[in-house]
Amino acid sequence: MLFSRRLMLGLAMAGSLASALTFPAVAGEGPTEIDLFFPVPVDGKLARDMGTLIKEFNDGHPDIKATAVYTGSYDDTLIKTRAAIKAGKPPAAVIMSANFLLDMQIENELTNLDPLIKADGSTKEQFLGQFFPALSGNAVINRSVYGIPFQNSTPLLYINADKAKEAGLDPSKPPQTWAELTDWAKKLTKRDGDKVTQWGIAIPCAYDYCGWMMETLTMSNGGRYYNEEFGGEVYYDTPSMLGALTWWNDLVSKHKVHPPGATPGPAVSTSFISGNAAMMMLSTGSLTYVRENAKFNYKVAFIPRNVRNAVPIGGASLIIPAGVEADKQKAAWTLIKWMTSPEKSAWWSRATGYFAPNMAAYKTPDMVDFLNKNPDAKIAVEQLDVAKPWFATYKTVPVRKNLEDEVMLVLNGKKQPKEALVAAQKAADETLKPYNAETSLKLP
Amino acid sequence: MSLAEPAALPVAASAPRRLHIAGRFTARFKASLPAYLLLLPSLVFLALFTYGAMGRVIIDALYQRATPKAPLRFVGLDNIAAVLADSAFTGAVINNLIYAVGTAIPSIGLALLFALALARTNVVTSALRAALFLPVLIPMVAASALFLFIFLPNVGLLDYYIGRLLPVLPNWLGDPDIALYAIMIITIWKNAGYYMLFFLAGLQAVPEDVMEAAHLDGAGPFMRLRYIILPELKPTFLFVIVIATLNAVTQVDHVFVLTQGGPSNATNLVLFYIYQQAVEHFDVGKASAATLLTLAALMGLTALSFRTMANREGGP
Repeated sequence: MLFSRRLMLGLAMAGSLASALTFPAVAGEGPTEIDLFFPVPVDGKLARDMGTLIKEFNDGHPDIKATAVYTGSYDDTLIKTRAAIKAGKPPAAVIMSANFLLDMQIENELTNLDPLIKADGSTKEQFLGQFFPALSGNAVINRSVYGIPFQNSTPLLYINADKAKEAGLDPSKPPQTWAELTDWAKKLTKRDGDKVTQWGIAIPCAYDYCGWMMETLTMSNGGRYYNEEFGGEVYYDTPSMLGALTWWNDLVSKHKVHPPGATPGPAVSTSFISGNAAMMMLSTGSLTYVRENAKFNYKVAFIPRNVRNAVPIGGASLIIPAGVEADKQKAAWTLIKWMTSPEKSAWWSRATGYFAPNMAAYKTPDMVDFLNKNPDAKIAVEQLDVAKPWFATYKTVPVRKNLEDEVMLVLNGKKQPKEALVAAQKAADETLKPYNAETSLKLP
Repeated sequence: MSLAEPAALPVAASAPRRLHIAGRFTARFKASLPAYLLLLPSLVFLALFTYGAMGRVIIDALYQRATPKAPLRFVGLDNIAAVLADSAFTGAVINNLIYAVGTAIPSIGLALLFALALARTNVVTSALRAALFLPVLIPMVAASALFLFIFLPNVGLLDYYIGRLLPVLPNWLGDPDIALYAIMIITIWKNAGYYMLFFLAGLQAVPEDVMEAAHLDGAGPFMRLRYIILPELKPTFLFVIVIATLNAVTQVDHVFVLTQGGPSNATNLVLFYIYQQAVEHFDVGKASAATLLTLAALMGLTALSFRTMANREGGP
């Protein structure tokens, strides 16, 4: 987090701040010192687990000394990485939100990983073949590899099974369509006069989460949200998104089974854990947190569909920023390969709740055991069959915010879905204009 | 400079005729050299971290890229015009004005009330002063994290108690009509104790004999407050108002932690807008232009208040 006074002093300060964050490597003898920037975007004790993981790596690799640097949320991690690149001292590796890769590639901030893969005697196809196919959309740009999937997620429907039984619903047959979900939510909402004492469902909406949930609902409604092939277009003012937002708004204002206003992710998970919300839509990344804190039986299920079953992936990939020296690049590559290997991938998945991007992770004996004991972790992996890439455009964050600001107005009853989406589309088109001027609208 | 004055005077006086201007200048410079040398270390750091950065902001504010891959080019005042035309910026300015007025007046009022109530020193008032000062000692980020739980919709501390009284529970940070006021409550809670210190100090300066005379003349507590204490506290008021306004612009840590400027820009303040332009939009030119505008406004305000203070001291 940057603080106010530093900003008042201007961006030149950001440079010196960033250089203070990255420790310069000692030249000459001794191990190659590298930094790994890592974010903690979900509930739980990820920072401690990361310390354990890096310590194990350093113990096994005496020629490399990696340091894990905690950098806040996904958005903060992008900011800090950019500041470090600008200061000329980029970290050797970063766990970067998967949908920021395109934006960074457009700004020339990423190292192309193809040569490193080739130097190992592997081909792109062989290398990417280790990971779930749904993940390559956010890792490959212009047919070159820029990111290696590390911790990935999909949105899930979490159900309080005890409350469902209480309401006469069968938690072993979770709702599969929006119609069924609406019905469940109505039955699970408890009222005391005008006052709601238990909400049927809660869906998070804060910056970052809100855009992801809109993509989830839009995809389940047959839509695409953005152009997967080209970073200059989003599809906000479309029937598929209009249906998605109208349904979300109906849950709030028509059926009154969803708390009004915009609720951040941690508030939604706390609400679910405390029994105040009987169902929620949240990332698989929160699964371990729910497993360890829920004092009731819970159940997870696919996100219900209106048109088709489809969800976006979420989570982060390992990247090497542009401008990292050759020896550090090599050390970072060793770290990245180690962290995404089947065993480590599986360990991280069990510790956090993210699914392991490396398919072989699910063949390791520990993981087979774990899935037998925790069948809920299996749902996230099964849902991968219908997963699609996460929205990524030129200036992903502002373009996402153009939509989120309008969605928040709708959930607060200040705007109708249609006018909100028209406004969001207009704002996003404006944000994307400079990129289109350079690409799609640059004519001979 | 004051160090140099006594040394400079004899040099000028001992010259029989009018020295050349250049000669006089070198003589003066030589005389004040030790002063400059003494100032040098802090000057170096000021130049590096304050003036240098400000200079860089001014330069950055004049350049812009037309498209992502295009080189930076000089655009003059275009960035400033773009910021002024941006509805998000005007929204942030309006929010900031509401925020400044809405936090300064209640926190100064509370601070004065606390100071008047706790002006005498004894065991009870000392304990109460410490209690009221406590929020100042908590870092803003930590305080915001505490309030995150207090404001949590449905299950938070506030809703737990207030929820029994209200039919529909407010979503304190998720409703654009309420969010800014929720943020303001934190600022008032945090700053009132700080301003109380200034008023306590100001109250010590109220002349004892005047108060006694007023007492003998039969002036009641309200008369004494209206005609003696408040006029004596005028400089304190001016100072605290300036500090409160500066705080309203520079303290946005709780916006970062609690709302990120949302929902729908309802809690977007000017400094957070600058941050967004710089790191989310990656638009250094616009961020620098907005910084310049803010700096200009703050400097104008400070100059105005210092002049008011100087006038008052110079007058009868």
